[in-house]
Amino acid sequence: MSEQQDTSPKVVLVGNPNVGKSVLFNALTGAYTTVSNYPGTSVEVSRGYCSIKEKRYEILDTPGMYSMMPITEEERVARKILLTEAPHAVVHVIDARNIERMLPMTLQLIEAGLPVVLVVNILDEAERLGMQINLKLLEKNLGVPVLGAVMKRKQGLDELLQAIAAYATVPHKPFSYVVDLEDDINRLVRLIHGQYRLSRRATSILLLQKDEDIEQLVAKNERYEDYQCLTQDVREITFRRRADLHLQISLERRKVCKRMLDGVVTQTVKEEEPLSERLSKLMMNPWTGAPILLLVVYLGLYKFVGGFGAGTMVDFLEGNIFENYINPPVVALAEKHLTANWLYELLVGEYGVWTLGVRYAVALVLPIVGAFFLMFSLLEDTGYFPRLALLVDRLFKRIGMSGRAVIPIVLGFGCDTMATLVTRTLETKRERIIATILLALAIPCSAQLGVILGLLSAAPLALAVWMVFLTLIFLLIGFLSARLLPGESPVFYMEIPPLRLPQFRNVAIKTLRRMQSYFLEILPLFLVASVILWAGKMTGVLQMFVSAMAPAVGAIGLPAEATTAFVFGFFRRDFGAAGLYDLQMSGALSVTQLTVAAATLTLFVPCVAQFLMMLKERGIKTALGILVFVTLMAFSSGWLLNKFLLVTGLLA
Amino acid sequence: MICGFCHKEIPENIGAADGEKSCGACLGGCRKIHCPYCGYANPAPGFLSRLLKKEKGKDNG
Repeated sequence: MSEQQDTSPKVVLVGNPNVGKSVLFNALTGAYTTVSNYPGTSVEVSRGYCSIKEKRYEILDTPGMYSMMPITEEERVARKILLTEAPHAVVHVIDARNIERMLPMTLQLIEAGLPVVLVVNILDEAERLGMQINLKLLEKNLGVPVLGAVMKRKQGLDELLQAIAAYATVPHKPFSYVVDLEDDINRLVRLIHGQYRLSRRATSILLLQKDEDIEQLVAKNERYEDYQCLTQDVREITFRRRADLHLQISLERRKVCKRMLDGVVTQTVKEEEPLSERLSKLMMNPWTGAPILLLVVYLGLYKFVGGFGAGTMVDFLEGNIFENYINPPVVALAEKHLTANWLYELLVGEYGVWTLGVRYAVALVLPIVGAFFLMFSLLEDTGYFPRLALLVDRLFKRIGMSGRAVIPIVLGFGCDTMATLVTRTLETKRERIIATILLALAIPCSAQLGVILGLLSAAPLALAVWMVFLTLIFLLIGFLSARLLPGESPVFYMEIPPLRLPQFRNVAIKTLRRMQSYFLEILPLFLVASVILWAGKMTGVLQMFVSAMAPAVGAIGLPAEATTAFVFGFFRRDFGAAGLYDLQMSGALSVTQLTVAAATLTLFVPCVAQFLMMLKERGIKTALGILVFVTLMAFSSGWLLNKFLLVTGLLA
Repeated sequence: MICGFCHKEIPENIGAADGEKSCGACLGGCRKIHCPYCGYANPAPGFLSRLLKKEKGKDNG
């Protein structure tokens, strides 16, 4: 390939994914394209050629990018192209319907001193939604060529070709931010002396945002003494602004965008704010958001997962199908053919592979977790979770975590192991430790949550006690950790995707995917656990374990049989909860005992997988420390709850 | 694949496209794909999705 030697002026297409970049690329280049990995990466970049007024241009279609500050490999490649290819023009393609969300990247491209042509694509859909965009005014405000287009119908293509051919870079007056931020940026700009493709201003901002590629570039291009001065200043500014630098840059860009769009977009059809927008605001406002959250918990978790999943579905599968149709012939077959007691016990005994492993996985846990996943996928598809994250952000700051910690904590309700992994995205070590403790202690995973909801849904007051108790423990431990571990809470911000009606196909596929992966994950573990328990029973080791734990279990007011549920719980949280389910069905537990057992089991040690993840992420010392703390905390809180319930007679 | 939390597009090479079972952020086997932008764990496409994709491919072909 002679791409490296090609002297044709380059035109680079950039923009978010799904805005019509590739359609534009095909329209510009026709069939003469090559798709190959970008040098040194595994990311594909399409190249092609087009002729405008008999002059040949090389067109590059970059991978989708959301900002000039790359996060993924794709974005890094897209940015690298801008840094190394010396483009004649950079065509930024945006979706007209989301102009306000996409314009900040246009600002970044202009700020970087790149020769930008802005293509406002999908204009037809925007007009259908009643949006009128004054492109001439936007062009005047931005100071770069702005074109409207409907690329799938090649509308606007001729104008774009003309704009590319006639492009002449005019230095753009920079958009100014708030004075103190400007001072810091200019302080760095004055220290930069090397030559860069991006403007010094953009380079300074990226240095403040700790962009590693730019740091390396600057280290290479600056004299040693200048580089030392620069890094010292960057360190000083980023430390001073550690609480809100990213937020402030983002807010300043938004402010500039608002100014640029002033009078540019008019909504002609609908005067009123759309219902989804109003609902979205209600979900994030603490006064209305909290009741909405309670409603979601009541209808989604209590009624649907607890009532339908754990009630109707389990009754049908466990009480009807397994008990009447599957288990009798299996047990009869075993009785007839398995003469060895150990083999009989292994397959259909108390802890048998079939009677415990398969039955728990298929008839008890799967229907409950299936109902939970259905509800979870439904809420996920509407876009409720990011709103929930913002709703609880304020509360989280009081317990020493930034709003960013909302993400791993909310995820913990799905799977604590994965959520523990996600804590690495938190900025400070302090936050990572607090989040890991809270995940290990007070956040039940989806499987455990489902089974416990099913367990307690028959006694609504017990469920309320369990919820209030766990919330109090969560807040208390968070509050204490925030006081004991020093440090500040950084500011949290995130872009909120639009609220929408859930799509049946999406919800169905996500639910099935989750159920499939969950089932494949738990079935072998449940089988192995039942074999270990069987071996423990046959050798007497289980009895020793049970005897060792019995005083602790007895101290919280539970019968000795409940100990096995705690032993189960270490294999998997849901396995333990399913053990309680069995105990309750046999009538061995009173409502008070059930509530204490459910609360202690929720707080009790994380499952093996989560513990391994804690070891990997936090190191052996911290992980073991958390394990000991969580165990002590679980039993002492259980003891307290039991005493409280007995004294008050609340659930008697 | 669109992230279920932040609705940004997860690049295809992170697990989903080449039939991998997870994104590789952990030791594997979790069948989840972490969004690089927000960290959210999305379920990786399983055999059902691959089956649907194949069916769609057949229809188109």
